[in-house]
Amino acid sequence: MLSENDSRVLKAISDGQTDPQSIADSLSMKIEAVRASADALGEQGLVEVAKSVEETVSLTEEGRKYAQEGLPERKLLQSIGEGLSMSDLKDPGAKIALGWLKKKGWASIEKGVLKPSGPAERGPDEELLEILLKGSASAADLNRDALAQLRGRSLITSNAAKSWRYQVTSEGRAASSQIAGTAAETISSPSSAMIKWGEWDGAQVRFEGKLYQVRSYDVTLPADRIYPGKRHPYQRLIDHMRQIMLEMGFTEIKGQIVQSSFWNFDALFQPQDHPAREMQDTFYLESQAEIPEYSRVKEMHECGGDVGSTGWGGIWSPEVARQEVLRTHTTSVTIKYLADHPEPPVKAFGIDRVYRREAIDATHTPEFEQLEGIIMDKDVTFRHLLGVLREFYAKMGFEEVRFRPGYFPYTEPSVEPEVFIDGLGWVELGGAGVFRKEVTAPFGIEHPVLAWGLGVSRVAMLKLGLKDLRDLYQSDIQWLRETPVSLRM
Amino acid sequence: MPVVRLYYQDMEEMVGASRDTIMSRLAMMGADIGKRAEEDHVDVEFFPDRPDLYSPEGVARALRGFLDIKPGLPQYTVEQGPIVLQVDESVKAVRPLIGCAVVRGLEFSSESIESLMGLQEDLHWGLGRNRRKVAIGVHDISRVTPPFRYFGADPGCSFVPLDFSEEMTMAEMLKKHPKGKDYGHILQGCDRYPLIVDSQDRVLSFPPIINGELTRVEEDSSDLFIDVTGTDPAVFKALNIVVTSLAERGGRIESVLVKRSEGDLATPNLEPARWTIAAKEANDLIGFDLDAEGLAQCLERMRFGARPAGGDRVEVLVPAFRADIMHSWDIFEDAAKGYGYENLQEELPKTVTVGKSHPSEVKKAEIRELMAGLGYLETMPFTLTNETAHFHNMRRKPEASTRVLHPISELHTILRTSLLSSLLEIFSLNQHHPLPQRIFSVGDVVQKGRTHMNLAAASIHSAAGFSLIRSLADVVLQEMGWQEEIKIVPSEDGAFLPGRGADILENGQKKGCFGELHPLVLRSFGLEQPAVALEIQWGQL
Repeated sequence: MLSENDSRVLKAISDGQTDPQSIADSLSMKIEAVRASADALGEQGLVEVAKSVEETVSLTEEGRKYAQEGLPERKLLQSIGEGLSMSDLKDPGAKIALGWLKKKGWASIEKGVLKPSGPAERGPDEELLEILLKGSASAADLNRDALAQLRGRSLITSNAAKSWRYQVTSEGRAASSQIAGTAAETISSPSSAMIKWGEWDGAQVRFEGKLYQVRSYDVTLPADRIYPGKRHPYQRLIDHMRQIMLEMGFTEIKGQIVQSSFWNFDALFQPQDHPAREMQDTFYLESQAEIPEYSRVKEMHECGGDVGSTGWGGIWSPEVARQEVLRTHTTSVTIKYLADHPEPPVKAFGIDRVYRREAIDATHTPEFEQLEGIIMDKDVTFRHLLGVLREFYAKMGFEEVRFRPGYFPYTEPSVEPEVFIDGLGWVELGGAGVFRKEVTAPFGIEHPVLAWGLGVSRVAMLKLGLKDLRDLYQSDIQWLRETPVSLRM
Repeated sequence: MPVVRLYYQDMEEMVGASRDTIMSRLAMMGADIGKRAEEDHVDVEFFPDRPDLYSPEGVARALRGFLDIKPGLPQYTVEQGPIVLQVDESVKAVRPLIGCAVVRGLEFSSESIESLMGLQEDLHWGLGRNRRKVAIGVHDISRVTPPFRYFGADPGCSFVPLDFSEEMTMAEMLKKHPKGKDYGHILQGCDRYPLIVDSQDRVLSFPPIINGELTRVEEDSSDLFIDVTGTDPAVFKALNIVVTSLAERGGRIESVLVKRSEGDLATPNLEPARWTIAAKEANDLIGFDLDAEGLAQCLERMRFGARPAGGDRVEVLVPAFRADIMHSWDIFEDAAKGYGYENLQEELPKTVTVGKSHPSEVKKAEIRELMAGLGYLETMPFTLTNETAHFHNMRRKPEASTRVLHPISELHTILRTSLLSSLLEIFSLNQHHPLPQRIFSVGDVVQKGRTHMNLAAASIHSAAGFSLIRSLADVVLQEMGWQEEIKIVPSEDGAFLPGRGADILENGQKKGCFGELHPLVLRSFGLEQPAVALEIQWGQL
């Protein structure tokens, strides 16, 4: 099947046109397109392509002057009349003319006098000059001796130019007449009317008495890249984790970013001089918060309340507890929720941003997401916590989990789950435990609270293959565009 | 967390088990084993609640129980010694508590000196709150002559501090000695400094700063005097941990009589604390099913003294070096470790509850679906920002914002009160990628200390104009179910080109804004193409 351009060029050649420029002019095409089509037709044997290199000759500036005024020897001959004394030849240019006069035998010198001799007929060089004065000409059509002579006198210059000549072959003529016979016009897309009323046969449609062909494309070529709008890959991971928690029957809870030290530390039985509370680890604010009735918390810190604990000793200060901080863990939200909901059963979770005073580098950011889940009920035990953890990690895609003892200030017993990851081995992922009595008793929570948490951004690094935590928050747009929606996490 | 270097050969000798046994069981006792084990040693992290494990000797002691080689309460003999330390009233206001001991018959190597120094430093961190509550001094007793005296000295007193060759005054040490610079703040505002001297006024120690050079412990030292000073009874725990650790190396512990106005005290006191626990309570917490006998066995493995005391009761003797037993649950946790976490049968609880999303997350999910459908990419920028980026670059007047007291850098000084500037920062980081770029963020902002929830969207490309963002605002408001009560009015917001910015009012209250960003705003973020943006506050916690 010939393209539209190829068909038109073939028709022009079979109509007797031979020169690409004239074909281009008649078809309103670019000459390059005509040549490309003719080459393609030539490869298919429909057209004979004759390429030739032609020498064209044209006048130099000096040559143009002589062509208009006559050659110097002709002018000299006319100026000497019957004879001229050599001593009167003053023009220095006359020397060149004199040489050519003698060479052509148009004059001779006798006793110091220059005299014409013979008829001095017009030579082929003068004829050539006259031809070239009308325009450049092909060297092949011109007198070779005259060309050599004028080239020797630097009166002409020549250029090599490529030219093409096309002639239709018999196959080409047949093909051309066939095209003329079907006379389908190529279109790039059908009009609405063609869709509604045209008579379709494959890619051809007969519409209002004419035949059209919908152009076929090279479907193997790629087109421009487009990008969808979508959720952040990290958000998709967070949503996946939320989904797991909801499936497991947990209620989602939320809390303030700005928290009192009371809910962030004291309610969790963190002693007021604990290193984690120091300025270098926690973002403190200037502001003070309202805190709830605190006598039982104070008693618990100072002497262990009524649960048989020793407490931390020392004096617990409500002023220290009022200092506001950016929450350092989601547990501040959890304990407040438990204080508000002390009756069993409670299953709650949250995934939210927490703040630590860490200098930014590839594996530390001052804010990151934490997941936390708690179960409070009658008769739940540490053994149940391990069961929940295994289930949770399995749903996260971590099939191999093991548990080893850990330490967290507000849980007892505590456990550090480790998951097995190909290529990395056992990786510690999160922490868990049962809230201490010293934590739960002041809020009237009488049953065990199983709790666990993990850094979501660490999971994201593992699942998204990131090397730098910052990429989650200061994202590269191309990475967002190209991370597939259906990436398995 | 403290890191303790364990040499395999040393551990094998002290524990009486092979390297492989030790390494395979250590983590299950409660330790973080570093990934890289060296040829002859491994560095292991121990938890802050177990300062008794901050030395190889302490770890070996625990492992002997855990591996059933020598379970039960470790026995130490304290000989009553002749040495007396007098506590002067002048020191009470500065650093009132002191406990001392003598340990004799030690043989040191460079490694065991290293581990003793390591133990001291880790105890300063773990129990001592960086020496404020507890500071430890260890001395070669052969260089000095008892009795000793602990008193509040004039800061002008001078002696040769450790690692120096010339005398200097205590006041000078706080300024010139590296330890003085590190810990001098503990003595800020005191007109007397704590000092321990011998009968001839030669200085042993200037707690909590530095020892004297005179009593430096060297490899040929065999008899040590240990002082532990501070402000908290943890002083006596630290002393117990140091002396029992030295006793594990063959040292003989000898008491020192501390003479005080409130009553004399012979230290160290290695009497175990006595607890009585019920097996039922342990079973209820851990979920195993042990009788008193079984529970006692698990505890002996963790080096408690434990014996059934009738019914389900167990009498527990807590070693004097344990600093973490505050409550019966602390003992139950150790019972679980003794039982072995790996032996606990995991089980899902029977608690029946129905899962429920938080309403704000439901709304966020709807907004994400909407914005993605409109062709916008989600971003999740930091919530910490700074006034320059957040207000000045946005040509907005600084408003009240939550400011952190000790920021980590000038870039993170306040919590954002809106989202828009964060989106422009993301554009500025992505200028090398093809336009148009369309991004959004749905997240928390903090205003007057309360968490609010916003949506912001922005689009940057040569054709980003007002009608585009007006269309977006209209469709977003409509899709969020808001259109009824909303009014759009011209905005005074400096972030937008005058005449091309609008405010969104809900019942006369400003809820958002949108428009063409002012070229000066774009320029301050280094952007070179037109951009339009929208921000809406849709909720609060």
